[in-house]
Amino acid sequence: MDDDLIVCRCEEVTVGDVKRAIEQGAFDVSGVKRRTRAGMGQCQGRTCETLIRGILASELSKRPDEFRLDTVRPPLSPVTFKTLAGGYDE
Amino acid sequence: MRTYDADVCIVGSGPAGLGAAIELAKHGLHALVVDSNLSAGGQLIKQTHKFFGPTAHRGGVRGMVIADELYAEALDSGVEVWLDSEVYSVSSEMQERMSIEVLRNARRSNSCDTLPIFRCAIKAKYLVIASGASEKPLMFPGWTLPGVMGAGAVQTVMNVERVLPGERFLIVGSGNVGLILAYQLLQAGAKISCVIDSAPTIGGYAVHAGKVQRAGVPLITRCTIVKALGDNQVKGGQIARLDENCQIIESSVETVDVDTICIAVGLKPYARLASLAGCKFGYFPQLGGWVPLHNDRMMTTVENVYVAGDVAGVEEAAIAEDEGRLAGLDIVLKLRPDDVCVRSRIHEVQARLWESRRGPFSSDKHQAKKEIIGHWHGNVAT
Amino acid sequence: MRIVSHPVLQEIEDVKWVEITVDGRKIRAREGESIAAAMLAANIRIARYTSVRSEPRGLFCGIGQCSDCMMIVNGVPNVKTCVTLVADGMVVQTQYGTEGPDYENV
Repeated sequence: MDDDLIVCRCEEVTVGDVKRAIEQGAFDVSGVKRRTRAGMGQCQGRTCETLIRGILASELSKRPDEFRLDTVRPPLSPVTFKTLAGGYDE
Repeated sequence: MRTYDADVCIVGSGPAGLGAAIELAKHGLHALVVDSNLSAGGQLIKQTHKFFGPTAHRGGVRGMVIADELYAEALDSGVEVWLDSEVYSVSSEMQERMSIEVLRNARRSNSCDTLPIFRCAIKAKYLVIASGASEKPLMFPGWTLPGVMGAGAVQTVMNVERVLPGERFLIVGSGNVGLILAYQLLQAGAKISCVIDSAPTIGGYAVHAGKVQRAGVPLITRCTIVKALGDNQVKGGQIARLDENCQIIESSVETVDVDTICIAVGLKPYARLASLAGCKFGYFPQLGGWVPLHNDRMMTTVENVYVAGDVAGVEEAAIAEDEGRLAGLDIVLKLRPDDVCVRSRIHEVQARLWESRRGPFSSDKHQAKKEIIGHWHGNVAT
Repeated sequence: MRIVSHPVLQEIEDVKWVEITVDGRKIRAREGESIAAAMLAANIRIARYTSVRSEPRGLFCGIGQCSDCMMIVNGVPNVKTCVTLVADGMVVQTQYGTEGPDYENV
């Protein structure tokens, strides 16, 4: 895997960035996310989470199923503050 | 925020969601289906090919026609359907009800001033999550270039919007999605360079592979994509053969003249809503990866939250519909525990489901489903 | 490229054509189709350039999940063009980064 390869398309986080995060102590998707922003972009990890778990498995010599899904929090899709504040409610 | 009451809220209007809704409505319940798309039918609306199975189970009918038939049956049965309605949150309410928060007109509001986006909270006792599956990604140098896209993206733009996103295609992945995509591309007038797969054997059914090969498209196994070429968009692809240890054979690297590279490496359950609702998951690679645990009636580890279709494990459309019907029927039974007819219909649908999974291609999925049910029992017993 | 004839898909009836502009260029679009489809029909495949590396992106997932097809539509940024329908007179611009058009080049 080329370290310059983009993993998180939304935040432009590379394989190298993820590997460095793991070296710094990240041991799950959340740890990688907090150190690199991978999974924090517009798609909230929909595209990259599987890939991040794959890199974690490979770097930490574990099976993919040893990495749980990252916590999902609302909103499930991008919503403007105006919408949430009821700005468009009748 | 507006609130709206329903007996059951079903998220997703593919075969699973509509299957559940039809059973519920036929038994007199208020079933409300919400779907973020502008059409009902899920992935079926993109399928031009005829589906397998006995005629009684829609065998020989084109996917897009099945979608129309199911939708019509749902509306005739009294199902309420909200399209262009995206679920953004779910939470528990008083009296065992759930509040499912939805954004309405989320898609059309950007194109139409008279349809502003607004929120609505659906209050329902039961939730059926039938949100389907999403495509697995594949990373390779150049994968972010315009022209590299998911197989589903090509199918959508081609079969729903009638636009080809390119002229010369490379398909990475020879499972049923990749093979069916190849065939659909040929029908639409596209040129396909080849279909490649890093595995030693073709992943999809022989009948699909045969059609593609007879049309002159090479299906190359033990072959991987090395990189996508181009500066601003795809101008070509570099592929290479793999040896017994899955290492690239350097001398085999070749460039293929393509402008579009389709990633068709598999689907995984799209279960973020189930995760948000607190459902427990199990890892089943045969079914796509992390799958929400459910019992033999499709109920998850969260009381009154059900899953059905690809979100409960990636299988086929007929299975999705039956899982939906099963979930719907189980909800009816909860409200009418003495209804012998409903009980017998549940057994009928369950038997049909296990029967569909008995072939040689599905034995691993059959086994996985049994394990899921076992894990569900393990989880709720504690 | 628009698919003109197909062995299975039937002709779309009552086609109504509208006009949208993409970075000032007028293109024909079919009422009821997505902005992404109209652009692909006109062979325009770049939707945006990324914030950090200024790299081009275009349609990737096609179902409104990945965000690579986002463009500025009628002045509003971050609009997913694969799930947004065209409207007559719609102004679509390539998005640079997370917000704006490239003011120097527009």
